[in-house]
Amino acid sequence: MKRKFKPSTIYLAIVFVILYAPIFYLMYYSFNSGGKMYAFDRFTWEWYGELFADTRLLIIVLNTIIIALLSAAISTIIGTIGAIAVWYVKQNKMKNLLLSLNNILIVSPDVVIGASFLILFTFIGLQLGFTSVLLAHIAFSVPIVVIMVLPKLQEMSPSLIAAAKDLGANNYHILTKVILPYITPGIFAGFFMALTYSLDDFAVTFFVTGNGFSTLSVEIYSMARQGVSLTINALSTILFLFTVLLVIGYYFISKRTNANGRMFGLGARK
Amino acid sequence: MTKNQPIIRFENVTKQYDDDKPILNNVSFEMEKGKFYTLLGPSGCGKTTILRLISGLIEATSGKIYINDKLVNDTPANKRQVNTVFQDYALFPHLNVFDNVAFGLRVKKLPNDVIEKKVKEALRFVNLQGYENREITGMSGGQRQRVAIARAIVNEPEVLLLDEPLSALDLKLRTEMQYELRELQQRLGITFVFVTHDQEEALAMSDEIFVINEGKIEQRGTPRDIYDEPINRFVADFIGESNIITGKMIQDFLVEFAGKQYDCVDQGFKPNETVEIVIRPEDLEITSVERGKFTVKVDSILFRGVHYEIIGYDEIGNEWMIHSTKTATIGDKIGLYFEPEDIHVMRLGETEEEFDARLESYTAQGAEK
Repeated sequence: MKRKFKPSTIYLAIVFVILYAPIFYLMYYSFNSGGKMYAFDRFTWEWYGELFADTRLLIIVLNTIIIALLSAAISTIIGTIGAIAVWYVKQNKMKNLLLSLNNILIVSPDVVIGASFLILFTFIGLQLGFTSVLLAHIAFSVPIVVIMVLPKLQEMSPSLIAAAKDLGANNYHILTKVILPYITPGIFAGFFMALTYSLDDFAVTFFVTGNGFSTLSVEIYSMARQGVSLTINALSTILFLFTVLLVIGYYFISKRTNANGRMFGLGARK
Repeated sequence: MTKNQPIIRFENVTKQYDDDKPILNNVSFEMEKGKFYTLLGPSGCGKTTILRLISGLIEATSGKIYINDKLVNDTPANKRQVNTVFQDYALFPHLNVFDNVAFGLRVKKLPNDVIEKKVKEALRFVNLQGYENREITGMSGGQRQRVAIARAIVNEPEVLLLDEPLSALDLKLRTEMQYELRELQQRLGITFVFVTHDQEEALAMSDEIFVINEGKIEQRGTPRDIYDEPINRFVADFIGESNIITGKMIQDFLVEFAGKQYDCVDQGFKPNETVEIVIRPEDLEITSVERGKFTVKVDSILFRGVHYEIIGYDEIGNEWMIHSTKTATIGDKIGLYFEPEDIHVMRLGETEEEFDARLESYTAQGAEK
């Protein structure tokens, strides 16, 4: 059994501890009745109760989820169409150019994107609020969906499309009966990615949100500035668990499409 | 065989991408109904291009393509009464066997009960009854092959195109499938156009073979014609093993090569014309030095299973390959015997039409071919 503790294993363990310790620290104190981030007093659900009693906060949670679902759904549609378009481009130069333009959007700093959207929205006179946040979220999610869907299209053998044509399929059939079913796992992956990006986006939202509209990440930030309340911890804990659930969900979906579907053991946590 | 009406006709068809060398260069041919055709040639010769032109997956740069006497140059692939079995089978991985086979019928919006009946029948045709609900990923290469065939024939095409469908199978399965394909073609009675680079496959299955090289049809004919009477070095070399030696046609029925004159059955050449002669390795019979028509010194021997492959050199250094069930000793001199009809004489640079014309001219004279 000693062989388990090779230096590489220890290194890995340390890395994970460093990455996860703060999160668990935060989660731990969300149950502290002492109301402080030190000196654990007694176990309590108090902060969670406070959280759920706060209707303003609940509306913000709802906003966040609506924004996330809507922006993920819309960007999945746009991104999938975009990926198919990029895939259809035959010229390699053009294809690489399009891909690079797409990737630049993914890696460029959120601050730049947020600021540029702020300028754009004020320029065209769009009132900052739900719509502006939604549009911004769609915009930064589309490139992510493209990058998730494109590999699926590229691994698809071109003879599949030739075969469909040969069997009498028109372009609509080819799209709906061959291409879309084939890339479905990629589309799901793109959707989940867009969902998580939207859920935890702070910088872009911070720029483009206006009076009276807020998402969780922005709200937590402003709560944290006002002073320490353990409701933040409670909220963060719930958010974290929700993310974990998403990851698990994604894992099962990708597994189901890879091998023959076996779906069990999902809601075991929580 | 009676002359049927052609089902496929190519008239001066050329296919060219941009300014590259044409893949297919001014090709004309006809294919009859209900026959098994093989397009045979090395990779990149244009055989798959012909197939894709028939199926409509690519368009001809120039020339006319007819299916059933109807010009189809502007008919898209999904409107042509031909179906293809692809090299990688191209089965839809997200559909099971039944749905794969039903694909073409569903696209045509046939009623469900008809689809079910036809799919079952097609699966029975390829010996896959009971496999309807199997996933493609769980099937072997040979089974996938059959699904691909079923998916094509369920649409009742007039022409079935097969693009090197056996190349991914192992040797034993490949031989089995050769028999099955041939039998399937005869049962269905439709035209098969089979593409391969494997000359054994071509010889075993076809009614007619088109030997293709560099975008041109070098020779077309029955397997026997092509094997026994190749018109040039390329065909002789590509179909089977050959000894090809430069010689001189002294006069009709007399050819000189390797320093000696031999009787042969070819004629219609100019006196003393330089020619190439072909003798198949299996036509050379090992005998004693005295009784042989010429002698070679054995250089190497390879055991090939059904026969030995013996390489020898004659006095002037020509290399000879002999296929024999008898073996020899390396370094020994052996005599080689052959019949006059084993010699096949080829005129340099002769085209298929010229060859046919020459053959015609002397068979018309009443001479035995």
